[in-house]
Parts: sequence; structure tokens; C-alpha cells
Amino acid sequence: MTSDCCGPGYASPAEAIRAPREKLLYTIAIYTGTGIQKPDYLATVDVDPESPTYSQVIHRLEMPGIGDELHHMGWNACSSCFDDGSMSRKYLILPGVRSNNLHIVDTASDPRAPRLHKVIDGAEIRAKADLSGPHTVHCLGSEIIISFLGDAKGEAPGGYLHLNKDFEIVGRWENSMGAIKFGYDFWYQPRHNVMVSSEWAAPNTFMPGFDLEEVGHLKYGRELHFWDFEKREPIESMYLGEDGLIPLEVKFHHDPDSTHGFCGAALSSNVIHWWKDGADKWQWEKIIDVENEPHPDWPIPVPGVMSAILVSMDDKYLYLNNWLHGDMRQYDISDPHNPVLTGQVWMGGLLGRAPVVNGVTIAGGPQMFQLSLDGRRLYVTTSLFSTWDNQFYPEIRERGGVMVMIDCDPENGGMTLNPDFIVDFGKEPNGPSRCHEARYPGGDCTSDIWL
Amino acid sequence: MTTRVVTLANRNNASYEVDARRPLLEALRDHGIDLPYGCKYGGCITCAAKLTAGQVDQRRQVALNNRQVNDGYVILCVARPVTDITLEIGVECHDKLYRNPFLDPLKPHELKADIATPEEH
Repeated sequence: MTSDCCGPGYASPAEAIRAPREKLLYTIAIYTGTGIQKPDYLATVDVDPESPTYSQVIHRLEMPGIGDELHHMGWNACSSCFDDGSMSRKYLILPGVRSNNLHIVDTASDPRAPRLHKVIDGAEIRAKADLSGPHTVHCLGSEIIISFLGDAKGEAPGGYLHLNKDFEIVGRWENSMGAIKFGYDFWYQPRHNVMVSSEWAAPNTFMPGFDLEEVGHLKYGRELHFWDFEKREPIESMYLGEDGLIPLEVKFHHDPDSTHGFCGAALSSNVIHWWKDGADKWQWEKIIDVENEPHPDWPIPVPGVMSAILVSMDDKYLYLNNWLHGDMRQYDISDPHNPVLTGQVWMGGLLGRAPVVNGVTIAGGPQMFQLSLDGRRLYVTTSLFSTWDNQFYPEIRERGGVMVMIDCDPENGGMTLNPDFIVDFGKEPNGPSRCHEARYPGGDCTSDIWL
Repeated sequence: MTTRVVTLANRNNASYEVDARRPLLEALRDHGIDLPYGCKYGGCITCAAKLTAGQVDQRRQVALNNRQVNDGYVILCVARPVTDITLEIGVECHDKLYRNPFLDPLKPHELKADIATPEEH
């Protein structure tokens, strides 16, 4: 996407929608916590339907050590430096949640076979920045900011690591964490000088697994935080209470002028909507409430566990998952106060609605997903986090994760499982692995921020 | 150097002499035992093994709840052997480590040490 006149990404969300179709995508796959003593890896998946290796893993880049637990990832550059001809979207940053290592992967020299460029050692990050448990990676201009959920000892709230464009540690990004208790995801909207961050838990709390009782003991988050982005400090917190237990992914509209944004509260299985009102005050409301579902073997109804949300590049649709129920949903959010359910697909889950998809028995439920820039193809994976997988879907050890594709209709709404695409990570050469977040070389619906 | 003998019950009872002051993960890996691990500071449970005989000092671990401790789990990256010990290693010993938290809730005394309340008799 580079040329003589400009840098990476696209001039606007509308330009991004018109970009060429993705032909490759990258997803991380883990062995950490599976019992297989191999490194986690970055898988290249062929998503070009004209290719003979369509719907297959065509390359695997192993990390140097074992036990990283790769999870989310992010680019070194995005549309936020579209005007900077010296930058390019070349490097993917892969944090290891457990090891604290940051792997910098060169995806541009050979997009089909990415190579390791550099590793920032987890111990160095602990020593220089007192941080552990890396999660979300965002770039802004040539700067890179990564949320960490803990201090060097794994205690909340952690903070933000600042890297320069050469992947050297600058130090902590934030000037203050204020009264924030926990960290997790974040997104910013520079035209409104705002960043919003959410709350999971301390690494020492969530890494070993999920003890429900710890929610009641306030070991998990229930607040959203609004930051003065330039001053790098939080200015206002929204207490979501029972409506917002474990607020995870946060997404602003892609439109850089918009103040509307959304958060999926995983345990409450609600979508929270925020916006700035006419009096310049931040407001929030619950706009989607997924009801708990009865289960014959459960003493209480099963919560959806909405671990991820995503907004299409045209800001018209919001996608969400219910990891324990087993469904993906599409809502028309043209009026963000009044979402309309326009699509739903079942795949795996505990309710038994769709145990087999395209011939593969699914262990787990829909978990992480990435949407094509044109809004027509949603790639969905099934593993959440090794220890949590092991609690809720122990059979994933033998079956591994899968990636499926859902065809989405951006004009009229609606979603259907694509019958020709499935990548079964249960059949990987070193044994069943688990795939998680996916990204496309040309950018995707969770990569880019416009200045 | 004070040493202890570690016997691996699910590895044909193979036994190894280790430095009593070093974490078991490090000491056993030096003997060539392939063990899972993650954070290496006692916070993430990936390296958990099951202690079936003897005693360890694992005061630095913060990952296990009291039920897991009572079931014999030890965090190898921070645990040191106090006596000669017998362990089961690897995910084969994780049968009781992971449980569905909705189906099998913890009692107040079974929570992690910092929030557990004493068992009532």
C-alpha cells in the first residue's frame, strides 16, 4: 500500500473499503497450555479462492521460545501515518502474554513467509518499565503503544509501554494511571483528544484461569476510562456496575469525527455504547443485552461471554460473539442508540446448536474475529485463552482450534457460514494448536486510526 | 550444596538430584526434563505439577487457589524442594487443575490465599 507520495494505509475509511481483497491473513496459534512442548507460532493462511492452497495454513513462523501465549497483535504503522512516506506497514508486533516477550515480525519482505526481525525480551520490559501481561498494540504516527495488564510482579493495573519506530523502549507512555484499577484494551480518537480503556484483571488473577468468585471479590473490572490523550492521563471513569462486568474490547467508530464507541462487557454479555452529548459530556448506555441461556447440566443459566466486538469499516455494523453460547451476531448500528439484530450464525458452543461446521467438530465457540475491509468476509476463531479454554472446553486439547469464514451482506444485513472455507488447527503438523487473533497484510477493521 | 531427590512418578519413577535452593523448573530443565512453563514468576499456572510425596516451599506462587493447593498442585517455576519429593508432571497431571467455575464453585476457604476466609468447623 506504499507509494512515492504517501505512507501506509488509506486516506479515509471510505478509501479502505475500496482496497483490494485480502489474499493472505495471519493468525497466531498457541501450544502454550496445550501439553505440546512447541513454540507458539504465526500462521499464514491462504484466503485467495483462486489459489490451490485456499483455506490452508501455508507457512508457520515459530517463536524462539516456548510458553509465550501469543494472543493479540498489532502493526508498527497504520493509516495514522498515511502522509508519512518514510513509514510502511511492515512489522507485526506479537506480544507473549505470559512470557512478556514482544516479537517483531517482518511481514513485508515475503508476505507469505514472515520472518522474525527482533525480540524485545520480557525481562527487559519488566526491568525498564515495570510492566507485564501485554495485550493491545496500537500505533499512532510512528509511535507504538502497548497496554500491559500488570506490573513486573503481575499485579494490576499495569500501564502502557511506549516504543519508538525502531522498536526501542522509550518508557511508560502514560503520565498517570489515576485511580484506574485494571487495564485491558484501548482505542483512541485523536480529533476528540480522547482515549478509552477497559478492564480485565491482574495477570495473576486471569492467567491461572477463571474463578467466578473473584468477580464478587472485585478482582475483575467493571469500569471504562476516558483519557485526555495529549496529557496522557485518565480524566473520567464510568462505573458500569452489573451491566458492565468484565468490559473487554473497546472500539470507536472508524470515522475520525465521531465520538461514538462501543465496549463488549464479557461476563454481563452486554454492549455498552458511549458518545459525547451536546453539552460536551461523555455519556454511556447499554444497547445490547444477551440473555443467559438455560443448559440441562448447569445449575444456573449460561452467560454468553462476549469476549470480542468489531465495527465494520463503514460504521454500519457491529459484530459480537457469545463464546459459551456459540453464536456470532451482526447488528445494524446505523442508529447507535438502537441496534437492530440483522444476522446470526451458530458454530460450536456449549448449547449444542451447531457442534459440527463444514465437517469439523468444533471445540470452543466463536471467539476472535476479523472483518475484511469491504465488510463481506468475517474470519472467526474459537480459542479464548489457554487456561480458560481448558476450563470450559477441555476437549480443545485433542481437537485444537478452527478458523471459519462467515459471508456477510453489507447492503441488506445478514450472515451465513461459508461452506468452502475451514482451517482445522487440530490437524497441524506438531499436533492440535489453537488459533486466536487474525490480521491482514493490508490492514483490517481493527488496525487503523485516522488523525 | 544441599540437595534433594526428585522422583517423577509419571516418568517411570526417574529420579534426579537437585539443588534445594533453586526453583524446581530450572533444576529439572537442567537435567533435560522437558517441562511446560510461561511467566516464570509464579503467576500463570502453566508449569503446575502435582506433588504426591514430600514438601516444597512455594510461598512465592500467586496462581493457585486453595483448592488447587489442597489437591497437591505446585508451581515449579518458584517452588523449591524442602524434602525429597515425588511429582507428577505435564498436563497429564492437570485433571483437577481446571474446572468449570459455574458448575463447581469454590467455597470461601478454597479461594486464593489473599481473599480466602478460614474454613468453618
